Amino acid sequence: MKTTYAALVVGAGVAGIRAALDLAETGQKVALVDRKPHLGGLLTQLDYQFPTNACGMCKMLPLTERDSSSQFCMRKGLFHKNIDMFLSTELTGLDGDPGQFTAFLRQGSSFVDPTKCIGCGACSAVCPVRVPSEFNAGLTERAAVHLPVPHNIPNSYVVDLDHCIRCWRCHETCPTEAIDFQFNRRATFHTLLASAEPGLAESAAEWIKDLLFPFAAETAPEAALEQIAQDEHLAMLLLDLDLPGLEPERFLARALELKPELVVVLLAGPQHAELAGKLKAAGARLVLDKPLKPKAAVPVLDKTFLRAASEKRLELSVAAVVLATGFDTYTPCPESFGADTLGYKVLPGVVTSVEFERMLSGSGPGRDRLTRPGDGKPVRRVAWLQCVGSRDLGKGVGYCSSICCMISIKEALLARQMLKDENGEPAAATIFSMDMRTFGRDYQRYRDSAEEEAGVRFVKSRIHTAMPSPDDPGALRLRYMDESGELKEEDTDLLVLAVGARPPKDLPALARAAQVELNEHGFLRTRHFDPSRTTRLGVFAAGSAGAPRDIAESLIAAGAAAMEASRLINIYAPLKEKVAEPEPEYRDVGREAPKVLVALCTSCPVLESAVDMEALIARLQSQPAVIAVARIDAGCTAPGWEKIAELAREKRPNRILLGACMPYAYVPKLRELGAALGLNPAFMDVADVYTPAMTAAREENPDRTALGREVFATLNMALARLVRADTLRQRSAAPVYRQALVVGGGLAGMTAAVGIADHGYPVTIVESEEALGGAAMRLRTTLEGRDPQRYMADLVEQVEKHPNITVRTDSRVVLSMGKAGAFSTVVYGRDGVATLEHGTTILATGGREAKVYDYGFRVHPATLTQVELEQRLASGELDAGALGSVAMIQCWRSREEGRNYCSRICCAGALKNLHTLLRKNPGIKVFVFYRDIMSYGFMEQFYTEARRLGAIFIRYDLENRPQVAFDNGKPRITARDPVLGEDIQISPDILVLSTGVEPNDVEELAEQFGVPLTEDGFYREAEPKWRPVDFLKYGVFMAGLARAPGNMGEHVASAKAAAERALRILSGERLDAGNVVAEVRHSLCSLCGRCIDVCPYGARRMDLDEDRIEVDAILCQGCGSCTAVCPNSAAVLKGFDDAQVMGSIDAALEELA
Amino acid sequence: MATTAKIEVQNGNLLQSVQAFLHMLMDDGGVAGLLTPLHMGPGVVMPALVTEPERLKQADPLAPAFPLNAARIAAKLTRGGSPGGTLAAVLRPCEMRAFTELVKLNQGNLEDLAIVSLDCLGAYTNADYRTFAAGREPREASNQWAGQLLAGRSPDPADLPLAKACRACEHPVATGADITLGLIGMRGAGHLLVKAHTPRGEALLAKLRLPDTADPTARKDALAELVAGRTAFRDEMFEKTRAATASMPQLADYLAACVGCYNCRAACPVCYCRECVFLTDVFDHKPWQYLGWAKGKSALRMPTDTVLFHLTRLAHMSLSCVGCGQCSNACPNDVPVMELFRTVAARTQEAFAYEPGRSPDEPIPLSVFQAKEFAEITGGRD
Repeated sequence: MKTTYAALVVGAGVAGIRAALDLAETGQKVALVDRKPHLGGLLTQLDYQFPTNACGMCKMLPLTERDSSSQFCMRKGLFHKNIDMFLSTELTGLDGDPGQFTAFLRQGSSFVDPTKCIGCGACSAVCPVRVPSEFNAGLTERAAVHLPVPHNIPNSYVVDLDHCIRCWRCHETCPTEAIDFQFNRRATFHTLLASAEPGLAESAAEWIKDLLFPFAAETAPEAALEQIAQDEHLAMLLLDLDLPGLEPERFLARALELKPELVVVLLAGPQHAELAGKLKAAGARLVLDKPLKPKAAVPVLDKTFLRAASEKRLELSVAAVVLATGFDTYTPCPESFGADTLGYKVLPGVVTSVEFERMLSGSGPGRDRLTRPGDGKPVRRVAWLQCVGSRDLGKGVGYCSSICCMISIKEALLARQMLKDENGEPAAATIFSMDMRTFGRDYQRYRDSAEEEAGVRFVKSRIHTAMPSPDDPGALRLRYMDESGELKEEDTDLLVLAVGARPPKDLPALARAAQVELNEHGFLRTRHFDPSRTTRLGVFAAGSAGAPRDIAESLIAAGAAAMEASRLINIYAPLKEKVAEPEPEYRDVGREAPKVLVALCTSCPVLESAVDMEALIARLQSQPAVIAVARIDAGCTAPGWEKIAELAREKRPNRILLGACMPYAYVPKLRELGAALGLNPAFMDVADVYTPAMTAAREENPDRTALGREVFATLNMALARLVRADTLRQRSAAPVYRQALVVGGGLAGMTAAVGIADHGYPVTIVESEEALGGAAMRLRTTLEGRDPQRYMADLVEQVEKHPNITVRTDSRVVLSMGKAGAFSTVVYGRDGVATLEHGTTILATGGREAKVYDYGFRVHPATLTQVELEQRLASGELDAGALGSVAMIQCWRSREEGRNYCSRICCAGALKNLHTLLRKNPGIKVFVFYRDIMSYGFMEQFYTEARRLGAIFIRYDLENRPQVAFDNGKPRITARDPVLGEDIQISPDILVLSTGVEPNDVEELAEQFGVPLTEDGFYREAEPKWRPVDFLKYGVFMAGLARAPGNMGEHVASAKAAAERALRILSGERLDAGNVVAEVRHSLCSLCGRCIDVCPYGARRMDLDEDRIEVDAILCQGCGSCTAVCPNSAAVLKGFDDAQVMGSIDAALEELA
Repeated sequence: MATTAKIEVQNGNLLQSVQAFLHMLMDDGGVAGLLTPLHMGPGVVMPALVTEPERLKQADPLAPAFPLNAARIAAKLTRGGSPGGTLAAVLRPCEMRAFTELVKLNQGNLEDLAIVSLDCLGAYTNADYRTFAAGREPREASNQWAGQLLAGRSPDPADLPLAKACRACEHPVATGADITLGLIGMRGAGHLLVKAHTPRGEALLAKLRLPDTADPTARKDALAELVAGRTAFRDEMFEKTRAATASMPQLADYLAACVGCYNCRAACPVCYCRECVFLTDVFDHKPWQYLGWAKGKSALRMPTDTVLFHLTRLAHMSLSCVGCGQCSNACPNDVPVMELFRTVAARTQEAFAYEPGRSPDEPIPLSVFQAKEFAEITGGRD
């Protein structure tokens, strides 16, 4: 059966989650799949992210209509009413056309029924297998049946069949019979051997007897096919490729035509290797090498059966597909000791960066592991080596992984913070690198503060040898050459290899299934100016699917992909006119005397065996408000819920308390039950009584009295809260003006405007210049040789012809008021004054090439900026053939205080111009003075190529910057050559300065919209990692160069991501607040205003006209800071009032007997 | 640099000089209304808003009477609109500091009130002041009392100790007042020391055309000695109180006499809620709750929630507690409330390096988010 979703998102790491949430928040139904048995991707393993050095993933949660998604730690799980999650699931095919795809999925089984698993761990305890734990990056071991992510909620064990030795002990031990190895299916798993090899049939029958599969054999192809057609239970075919008369491809096709689910196992000798590969691509499941060895073959066949018998095939009808496939981290190969893996897995102190993160993690193998693995002494020195598995043509990796430099700085900072000796002295931290690529907007300052404030040491060098230290056997001796070529040695306790990003191993298979192309580096091939587009229309790339990216950029890419998907969905399944789901009608029970139905889940024996249930039930029954206490056999299953509903219909309670496990997982179920009973879910609660019971079950002599008391207290506290629950008033909702305002008509502004307008909402672009286009109009070519002029011309035309876009050039904003959903903005310009009513605002005010007034910039015609050089080369004004030498100085007046950020585009600009020059005149001598070459990502190959072409790169630092003088107009540059260790002098024909970019002056505009700027004048986002295009002020978003420096593709991505965020507001007729929001009891309020100071969301303000405090229910996130600071409960939180809290405290202290 | 001027003291009559100064404020300083302690009848001194300078004959800021902390009154005079004329108030240092706290809590306004503060010699409890003043000309009594105290002699009657809060007070001089009148350490000088500390104080003082003088060094030494003595008393009090309240049962015993009249809250100058949470529905318990609690404890002390009341007030107000002692003064059952508050406040204020009333620009700590604080609790992590 086909299920219909608006979009399919493949990959449930942060980018996949962001894309899914973006679409879900606009009301689209999304299927989110991941091949792993858990969501969260790599970030399940990482506790700390730069530049905040904290997690903060929860900041991705929806801000409005919060009740549609459970609001809690996102590293533990995600529940959204519009998102269905399919784990252990792979995309196997994608048919159809954009807007009308059919996606084929295969969902593997964990062999553990998550509705039965109570997470007791008994299975894991009896499992004899021990393999390295993926979660702890191999630092600890796990059993074959294990929890993939220990902190997930809900969390159920999974069987890793690859390592399972089929002892079935877990199955026998499980108290709830949750582990299913399909024993009953064996008798109907008919197996057929098609082989003419003498004796094989007999011996195969013998082996397979143990597996209990009914077995038959045929010696001719036609007979085998006949058998396939006739035997309705035939499930597995063992096909000998040496079978006489076999036309393998035709045979396989015919067999699968007869039985699409048939498991075809090829028996192939070495000479059939190529054929076997072909047949596998055509649908054969697995290849067994001939001659068959029963010891190897039997377990494989059994596991093949287990997989085939347990897996599910799904067919989804979707309008768009988003691929958020992420990356794998590089594993330094242990065999190549002596190469630059530096003894990884051989020397105990050499670890990868992922392993180091696990060592630091609170959920890792324990911080006490931060001793020297060799001899257990404390770690006092840590060294990092950059570019392990990146920028390394010897390993076939021509690109920069973009993220490792920042990760290492973060790890160094964490090490300085956490690894302190008894005197509080932090461990020494040293980072060895070729370049420190801190190309994100505020990352240079992060690096500077690591060096200057935290005392992290940076060394420009590559360690070539690590060996046990001769002076101290538990330490490592590092050898490296410094810049001047001198051999240096130093000791360290840990060497962290900053491993790069690699395309996921299964990406080629996924690309085949989705019919998209990969690029030469193995990531998805995406469009140059449009990195969210893959080679197939309707299939979009999010996160790091197209190139390695850090979290912020992955989320921007995810937002952009979601916007593209949404645009397509809007054509085929428009939401705009969608009728809002009717709010369920709830009885008003808040003023009725409380009547509570208590249901205790007894689906697993843990609770009943641990506490005296009779006494517990009797005690609960004696509570004044309780009308009935019932045992429910399986609270977590549909019949269990039906039973609760039945009881509720019979007893007519006005409050329901469920004693079960994992309260978070019940949120959607409570919503359903509420709708069925007409009872607001706010009057229902789930109390976790299983965690204490299970903790006790693991102890040797559990104290039953204490446990009974704890379980009773847990239920009693929830009861106290429910009894005092008050009528919830109608949730507040604010109407939305379904129009957008975009300030700035450059690349980002126009892209965002088209994205929104394509969804049918009117957009006004306000541009201060006389024409659209902005700074991008000055570009003539790109590093990759694309044509930006044409792209811009097309975009301008698209905007000008768009029926939903109004362009106001030569105009500016003079005043803006209002909030998300309802802004009112006055625009003044050539066409006079206009007042615009709009629900959302995108600020894309752009920037410009920074001006330079020294080095004879204006006086000497031989001095140019990179953009000027590009223009003159393109126009022919400057003849490359006439030039003998060119010098370029990078980071001109940037990455130091004043403009302490990397402009990100200058290294690309320099490489681009340098290639143009050398292409036109290979004889030119090109000198590039640089501090760190920021050729991140795939741009690295142009840096490599430039060096190959003979360009000379000379590093400088701020203490020794190149000095420029002019002799009769000809520049003379004096600089220190770090390799020679002495000053050099060159007199090039022209001097090119990489001046970088700066944002346009928007102080006034920022004030009008109430949004902050960074100290460099860029827009400051709500959160640098998790909300990269949001302002803290809800309803206003940012895009393009005014947000951060970047290339055209990156600005297009941020513009689309901002448009997607804006669509979230425009997609409904009103914005709904959450159920739990703060209110003010005005009669008690003394107007001291402390609640305004402490509100982290800016949701409270003093209304001077009314002389009272007002709460914006849309902005309020229900955190309760205001209620904590208010001394007399004038600030209250709906659903968490004082009486409930005090009642709970009392309830916790009541005795069971 | 503060302007320093002097007022001559004739025949050792301090009060007369103080009254003369207040008179000048109204006549020459253009003050339309002056809030100052006034004798109201036998044994009663109350703050009054004086508009007719003639009435200043009854003014007595020296009187060792402290019936209430006038910070709340100063707040009322300045909140929610202009008073319509220049106002000044004579406040004790603890009143000044409490007023500053109220201003931070948006309950009053420093803009509209010029504040004059005298060196505070302390005061008796309400009951003791009545004993002190009984049968004497009250202004004469104040004058004598102050004179003896400043001379280092025990004032008559010697067996009456000052209120404990005053004896433990390390703030005899107001911070943040526009003008201060110095008494301590001025005995040999034959005048009072008048100092302006703010632009408004300077302007006001300029109008009075008082002769300039210098800050005598004797004053500094006398102040230091006074503060040292009071600090020693205070620290001893802290120690005793800590020992007496070291556990929950001890704390319950300490507060056992509390009848839940909430007088301490009414007297507290910084308790600014319009209606205390203890008077709201939050503490409307159900009848069956009482029996439930009683069963749990075998006997339930009534009224309930008295310990919780004091704990709550400590949680809400200890950061702003200025130690004026009005809570103890107001307690009908001699519960040592001030001692408890000061002891706890010393710890909470120290934790945030916060001193209530030090400056109106110093925000109350719980309204401020610091990314990095309490490293000893967070382990140095953000």
